[in-house]
Amino acid sequence: MRDLILRNRAFAGALAMFLVLFLGYHALHPRGFSTAVFIQNANESVAIAFVAMAQTIPVLMGGLDLSVGAVMTLANCIASHLVTGSPVQMVLGMIVTLACGTAFGLMNGLIVVYGRIQPIIATLATGAIAIGLALIIRPSPGGEIDGDLNWAVTNAVFDFAETYGLADDGNAAWLQPFVNIPVPLIILLVIGFGVWIPFKRTVTGRTVYAIGSAESAAFMSGLPVRRAKIAAFTLAGFFASCGGLYLAIQTSSGNADVSQAGAYTLNSIAAVVLGGSSLLGGIGGAIGSLVGAGILRVISFYFRILSIDPLLQPLIEGLVLLVAVSLGALRTLRVKNRLELFR
Amino acid sequence: MNLRSTALAALLAGLGTAAFAGPSVVDGPGVDPSCFAPWDASTKHFQWEAQEGPYRIAIVNGFVGNTWRIQMIKTAKAYAEDPAVKDKIAEFKVVSTGTDAPAQLGAIEDFINQGYDAIVTIAVSPDGFDRVIRLADRENVVLVPFDNVLDTDAVMQVNEDQLAMGRMWAEFALKELDAKGVSSGKILEVRGLPGNSVDRDRSIGINEVLAADDGTWEIVSVVGNWDDGTTQKVVADAIAVHGQFEAIIGQGGSNGVIQALTDAGHPWVPVAGESENGFRKAIAEHSDEGLKGISIGQSPGLVAVAMKAAISALEGNVMPQLISVPLPVATYEELEDGKNFWSDLPDNFFTVNEFPPCGVNVSGPAIMAQDETDVK
Repeated sequence: MRDLILRNRAFAGALAMFLVLFLGYHALHPRGFSTAVFIQNANESVAIAFVAMAQTIPVLMGGLDLSVGAVMTLANCIASHLVTGSPVQMVLGMIVTLACGTAFGLMNGLIVVYGRIQPIIATLATGAIAIGLALIIRPSPGGEIDGDLNWAVTNAVFDFAETYGLADDGNAAWLQPFVNIPVPLIILLVIGFGVWIPFKRTVTGRTVYAIGSAESAAFMSGLPVRRAKIAAFTLAGFFASCGGLYLAIQTSSGNADVSQAGAYTLNSIAAVVLGGSSLLGGIGGAIGSLVGAGILRVISFYFRILSIDPLLQPLIEGLVLLVAVSLGALRTLRVKNRLELFR
Repeated sequence: MNLRSTALAALLAGLGTAAFAGPSVVDGPGVDPSCFAPWDASTKHFQWEAQEGPYRIAIVNGFVGNTWRIQMIKTAKAYAEDPAVKDKIAEFKVVSTGTDAPAQLGAIEDFINQGYDAIVTIAVSPDGFDRVIRLADRENVVLVPFDNVLDTDAVMQVNEDQLAMGRMWAEFALKELDAKGVSSGKILEVRGLPGNSVDRDRSIGINEVLAADDGTWEIVSVVGNWDDGTTQKVVADAIAVHGQFEAIIGQGGSNGVIQALTDAGHPWVPVAGESENGFRKAIAEHSDEGLKGISIGQSPGLVAVAMKAAISALEGNVMPQLISVPLPVATYEELEDGKNFWSDLPDNFFTVNEFPPCGVNVSGPAIMAQDETDVK
């Protein structure tokens, strides 16, 4: 156990910081910890958590993906047209939405690898393309996503089962231990762990880390560098479109909001750093970013229960963020060899 | 629809004893029609069960960072201290979530969970609030979107009639041109943020009036995003390309229009615009030289009307679902320093703030003097 923590010091630190902030928020909350508050917290965090996980993978390679927010927005707009109709049609619509986002990520990867363009520039351009497509698909906000789906997916397991008449309308005995868990949290954890952990263990996944540590060494060692880069951006596209799909279901609509796309891209980078990944690459992981996104959100939760002047809130949020990021950088004070600072 | 009502039934069962609350639709007229004017004859009326005051009210703003929003927040704080409502408010909180729909929805839901009685909001998107509307109705919370309102008739909303505003601008410009004896030429239309319902409605209003006129007008449209800097650039470009305009109708960024005209040495012509202080200063100064101006504003004071409407709804009064706030209009003939513009205040300050029929008497200078730290 101790070994595990020491080996994942940055992640453990992020998790501890998240728990302290989260428990503090619930302790101060006028109604205390309740399912309703937990569901609300989870709902608010899903989109940013997915986008942060998307951002992590290019960051692990030492790159940045400036299109993640835009791909999320694009997926959001596609979903607002397709996730409607009969249950089969809705599921097909979700698959098409995720496929589009994943294909967009694949295109990013191909441009970076075969176009030999720096990821930050390539994705700056493709991000603009994604927003352009989103605006064409949905020039003004709207869309009719099924109200039941919205209600079922943005609530606790009980409401999900009840909406769709599963497990005795949610009253089955075997379901009782789980009835109060928010569905969004389950979606996030299942997709996060289910996709990221297996990927990380493949040769391609290890190569992503190797590229971030030393790309030329990875290449000389015969690792599949090109394949890993393409896979990294493809997976980023997949995670970003998961965020967009959830956002569409959560808001029952699509909105090609340019400033929101930009805000999500920037916040995703902040979440990645808070989650213990290094912007230089090679260190960290998507699960850490999930926690990082949680920290980012919880900080803003505090403004709703504390009386802080509204015009001072952005300043305070920025300061707290700076402190949080600095705590993560404390390890640099203890390095024995200065060369390690370049890591 | 059937599925939806099943879900609703499911929700009710899940709640056990809690009944599905929310407003009931009742016949008008509503309370205090001089302030809470229904949008049109077909507007339905809502009534909530009366609740004991004082109330807990939250304002969930989206984007923050332009003068209008900052002034709106200051107005809200000042109005919460107004003697007419101070005793009715037990707790007052303002948060800004940025242009982030999940964060805004989350903040609204958090305030519902905290047991707030009313939540006033400027929606970041005209759609997507189904879930919080459902929760608000369940918990008997009054949700009041204003300014950027929602495309739904399920909540009580407060706004100015943007279509009428567009029409009034165009009518004024045509009237002034008529007085000058001009009946043909180019008219410049400066539009706002694309894709926004306010921009759409104002532009429709402007163009239908111009199209119905018997003069021969060539209408040139540029996009200024309601922003002084952008507007100045696009107006300057338009002047460079088209030479001279007979009139300019701008939705916003009016200071930019004036600046571009000055820089280009363009003769003063009738200009219709928003309610920026700088625009009104310019009209007052140059109206004799031909800058016949009309200034109509989307007032940051709308927030106060929305707060008042929320309190009135909580008291159990009959309220229109869509409340139309009268347009604050001032033409060059009505401008008066210290009354509807202030030569000693900054240009980007929005002059219209007061709504006397609603008892909202928070004036411009009072807001600028509002201390940042007093709502602790």
